[in-house]
Amino acid sequence: MTADKEKRRAISREAARRRRRVESDVFGDLSGLLPLQPSVRAHLDKPSVIRLTLSYIRMHTLLKENAGTNAGTRHVIKYQPLLKGGGEQSGCGGARDKEEKEMEEFDASRETSMYLGILEGFVMVLSTEGDMIFLSDNVSKYMGLSQTELMGHNIFEYTHPCDHEEIRNNLRLTAEEVWYGEKRDFVMRIKSALTHRGRTANLKSATWKVLHCQGRAKVCMDPSAVSCLLLTCRPLPLSHTLLSRYTFTSQHSMDMRFTYCDQRVSSLLGYRPEELLGRSIYDLCHTLDTNCLNKNHLNLCLKSQSVSGQYRMLVKGGGYVWVESHSAVIPSVRASRSRPGIPQPLCILSVTYVLSGVEQPSLQLSLDQILHRCLT
Amino acid sequence: MSAGGSDGTADRPAGPPDPAAEDEGPSQAGSSLPAVELARKRKGDVEERSDAHVQQSLNIQMDDDLSRSEGEDQQVKMKCFREPHRQIEKRRRDKMNNLIDELAAMIPACQPMARKLDKLTVLRKAVQHLKALKAGMGSAFSETTCKPSILPHDDLRHLLLRAADGFLLVVSCDRAKILFISESVSKILNFSRLELTGQSLFDFIHPKDINKVKEQLSSSEMHPRQRLLDAATGVQVQVDAPVRATHLTTGARRSFFCRMKHSRLAGKHEDKHTLPSTSKKKDAYRYCTLHCTGYMRSWPSSQLDSSEADGDKETSTLTCLVTMCRLYPHVSQQPPKDINIKPPEFVTRCAIDGKFTFVDPQATSVIGYLPQEVLGTSCYEYFHQDDLQHLAGKHRQVLRSKEKIETQRYKFKTKYGSYVSLQSQWFSFTNPWTKEVEFIVSLNRLISGPGHTKDEEEAGSSKALQDDMKQIPVIPGFSSSAGTMIYAGSIGTQIANELIDTYRVNSSPSSGASSPFGPAQEKSPVVSSQTSRSASSREEAAGSSSQSQSQSDSRTAANMSSATSESAGEPSQLDLDSMVVPGLSGFSSDEAAMAVIMSLLETDVNMGQSGDLEDLHWPF
Repeated sequence: MTADKEKRRAISREAARRRRRVESDVFGDLSGLLPLQPSVRAHLDKPSVIRLTLSYIRMHTLLKENAGTNAGTRHVIKYQPLLKGGGEQSGCGGARDKEEKEMEEFDASRETSMYLGILEGFVMVLSTEGDMIFLSDNVSKYMGLSQTELMGHNIFEYTHPCDHEEIRNNLRLTAEEVWYGEKRDFVMRIKSALTHRGRTANLKSATWKVLHCQGRAKVCMDPSAVSCLLLTCRPLPLSHTLLSRYTFTSQHSMDMRFTYCDQRVSSLLGYRPEELLGRSIYDLCHTLDTNCLNKNHLNLCLKSQSVSGQYRMLVKGGGYVWVESHSAVIPSVRASRSRPGIPQPLCILSVTYVLSGVEQPSLQLSLDQILHRCLT
Repeated sequence: MSAGGSDGTADRPAGPPDPAAEDEGPSQAGSSLPAVELARKRKGDVEERSDAHVQQSLNIQMDDDLSRSEGEDQQVKMKCFREPHRQIEKRRRDKMNNLIDELAAMIPACQPMARKLDKLTVLRKAVQHLKALKAGMGSAFSETTCKPSILPHDDLRHLLLRAADGFLLVVSCDRAKILFISESVSKILNFSRLELTGQSLFDFIHPKDINKVKEQLSSSEMHPRQRLLDAATGVQVQVDAPVRATHLTTGARRSFFCRMKHSRLAGKHEDKHTLPSTSKKKDAYRYCTLHCTGYMRSWPSSQLDSSEADGDKETSTLTCLVTMCRLYPHVSQQPPKDINIKPPEFVTRCAIDGKFTFVDPQATSVIGYLPQEVLGTSCYEYFHQDDLQHLAGKHRQVLRSKEKIETQRYKFKTKYGSYVSLQSQWFSFTNPWTKEVEFIVSLNRLISGPGHTKDEEEAGSSKALQDDMKQIPVIPGFSSSAGTMIYAGSIGTQIANELIDTYRVNSSPSSGASSPFGPAQEKSPVVSSQTSRSASSREEAAGSSSQSQSQSDSRTAANMSSATSESAGEPSQLDLDSMVVPGLSGFSSDEAAMAVIMSLLETDVNMGQSGDLEDLHWPF
């Protein structure tokens, strides 16, 4: 009896092994077809292979649809490469050398890496469920995790839980948006496995990184087609940028009252820096932009960095200018090593770009402006 | 099922739905970790990559043994893992099955099948599909010099530019010649790249932004000291730019906004996104605002191709600004649907007769009026017909109670004639010395919700007009004698009068007769226009000047502010100099002076929110 059982078990064990071997082979084939670096390919486990295959197929469906709708526009004019010689190449089609194609691909890759470098961010394509269908390969510079590790996974696994609702709202595509243009612009916190020095650490010790995501939603009427969100995600650097005459910096307490303002504000808005200290920024802006300021303020308090939209700041004698602010929360006192555990008081640092000239200089929108006119 | 779970590999990310798979990795190295610790082991031990293959084979063995639950050597050790292991296994199987299902959904060959395909078949079909795709893509994935990527680079470029809604721009710093511009510019500015390449950038920039762009193009040689921000401390620092900026250095980054011309094409809806530009009338062009971020770079001229480097062969380096210019969405137009901000709330304060003495500037975004437009007018003028009764009742209540009174939802007329739904909390402030109510503070909250469609609102407002003429709301306490037309503004005054009467009755014996409400007949109907509103309040002021003096406090305050609101016909003027004080002649001089001073103080307190008191001009 037991001998029989043993034999049967041995047979089924063998069968199982064979099945698994066949399966592994198929997986091997599949991963061989994926355009990956060999070193990366060797380390993929089975779910990852499927994930990447899914991403690959989805992206191609997406691009095919795109190509279908913008029929011909892509191929009409070929770019003139900056660093390679040669004039305009004529349109596509016809027999072309493999070499030429390779060159083109080479140029495209250089141009793409230039773009990605200037963009200072990575590209992300999200499905309506939140799956990261595609990520450009420089994502490792920002998140510390490689493209193959992340692609196919769901974004909700990597972002701060408090931001999930906002992300969901952005993923949702409503009917009216299809007509009005489907732009997206929001800030979210994502896990980053990078240390301060830029080295990759364990995901266990991941910190939150703030990313500014902008892009558009691609809506497809066809149900079998891929609807997705196309985004560029960039961290928000405030340093290392040349400050022009048309921008001013300011510091605020956490309730948005000015604690410091740069001299340039006088030439741009007419106020002397001393006049602004202690005043809340809400007093100085057009009332209809309160929502915009609210959102900015909330983003700052929750996520520590924010890009406001375009809003209007009131000029001293009347009228307003359009501005945009990039802000971050920083410790207001230089962190001292001697007292490490004590929480630092925080303040808001803001760089405000003035976008326009003074609009409607005679329009009085606040009592401030009226008083100023009465007195001068 | 099978050994898909060797998750000590580098590629295993951390996912909350799959803590189990990673746990297996380290545990199956044969260590005897207790089950408790297993559960606590965190995900994504990315550093354990060395034993991948070993673990895979161990996995296979493990599967064998566990699925058999045979008495073997390992089983004893693993007995305590079986329970959680089963669940771990199940989770992994489920995940794998989900992935297979998703894959099946994406592959056209698998879709028409009625029954679910098994794993192996799906995988095989996937392989076929990929092979077909690869054949169609041509040389995209050839193993050549460029590194393989999931997407062909061309497509990635397009994807990027489509996401970014921008274009790449390279301009030379000395003459602002556009050296390179990417194809996507045609989508954004409606100019083809042929038209733009080689042109001067300044031809396409808004005249007022030319200086700004010149500044940004200034290379480090011209302005050796640059103003930068140290974001760690928030302090601006002056940095000496290196003499030869051949590589990216601190200060080489540029970020600025500028307005660029774009030509109009029929049907393009980008016009919506332009900001008002003062030179719109002069130029035929519209401008759109772009955010340009990038770097200054220098190239030695040997790398440039001959056609470009004609004039530049003399210089040793060519410094350019390489930027990506993005069209910004007009964020302020989008309603804040993603962040849950509290519904707009604003505070108002009114005198006991309901006339506004202070209105929070935030109210403008809700009711449309600027604060100075409503100061001095009675809140009843804005309440909807149907709500008058209930609000009058609450008004009475709040004057007599020390607590906060919550009103029900009511409709408030906005500047544009439509109604918004508000709900307020009122409480009265009593002067501790005179024990009389001085003013009522109202915290108003906007209720958004169903039932306020355009049609309803329009119907409401037109209805209000008609009904004012015909129907008199029955408000307790008001005589509805023939010929008496009760108008909104007077409701408040009447309620206030009642209160004051009670004070007089309580405090000191006096004639006590409340004045007849005769002058009400002279008032003109309340219509939804500002001038007639001030007209009615003016008449009211005139009419009330003959009333008893004990009501002077609230009334002269109203007079002052109503006079103010008269002269504030346009929202821009609040000229305190020319304040006219009607009705003063009706009072004896002492009380009049007293009243006026008190009301001025009150108005000052309201206006003094932003501004020095010393700067106000007193009328006498």
